[in-house]
Amino acid sequence: MDFEPMEDFERDLRQAFQRRPAPPGLKRKLMEMRQKRRAPGPNSPHRQSNFFLWQRLAASVALAAVLGGAAAWRNAEERRKGEEARRQVMTALRITGHALNQMNAQLAARDRAAQQ
Amino acid sequence: MAHDWQPNFEQLVDEYQSMVFSLAWRMTGDRGLAEEIAQDVFLELDKHLGKLESAAHACFWLRRVAMSRSADALRRRKVRGMDLWVEIDEGHGAKAEERTSPLGNRLEQLLSTLPEPHRAALVLRYQEDLTPEEIAATLASPLATVKSNLQRGLKLLRAKASNHLREYVRVKEQASGL
Repeated sequence: MDFEPMEDFERDLRQAFQRRPAPPGLKRKLMEMRQKRRAPGPNSPHRQSNFFLWQRLAASVALAAVLGGAAAWRNAEERRKGEEARRQVMTALRITGHALNQMNAQLAARDRAAQQ
Repeated sequence: MAHDWQPNFEQLVDEYQSMVFSLAWRMTGDRGLAEEIAQDVFLELDKHLGKLESAAHACFWLRRVAMSRSADALRRRKVRGMDLWVEIDEGHGAKAEERTSPLGNRLEQLLSTLPEPHRAALVLRYQEDLTPEEIAATLASPLATVKSNLQRGLKLLRAKASNHLREYVRVKEQASGL
């Protein structure tokens, strides 16, 4: 047994595939969801994304401050150590100079005594 | 590009909710899922209102997004043809006035057993009355593929109808006095 001709079948398909009415509450739900989305509440995605943005920004600033402080402290500490080392070298040089002067004076005194 | 058309969300919902819902229902076979898809599609439309240039563009955009979201939902749920058949057969919560004729219901049941590309082409062709070129643009598919899907889908559906709808044909013949 064959079915009806293709044209009739296509006509039946058009009749069968008429658009169905949407659920009665669909439009109301959509308008409510849209309204809710447009009025940002305390937990709205917009607010949350702003909060996280500020949080990230504050964390970045704090991290930059800590890193900057550490770098400055390290620089100052190196400078202080350098000054200390220079001061020690100068002291050593002064002591050495003083000792040499004393030896020179003693040698000069012996030379004078030998000549007399 | 400047355009004078001012989109009105509420008006677009009024005008196209039935189209979007029907496309999603016929593609997924699940009334509840179709309603969810319709909501998603219209909320997406709300985001894109500024980019739409005309009512025809809005209609085209809605069809395309509804088909794409339905295909995504089908892939996610991995719904098989027989599952859809049962859902549509039971009306799945549809009110009496929403149900179509017995022939319409049977054809929808058979439609839901077709492969997804065939089903998409047939729904756009016979629900939306689109040309193959318009279907190709909506589905972003090559025209030759769409034509092939239409032909094969129609033949397959007709063959299934010949096998499954003998009873309907007999009743129809009796009604027409043959």
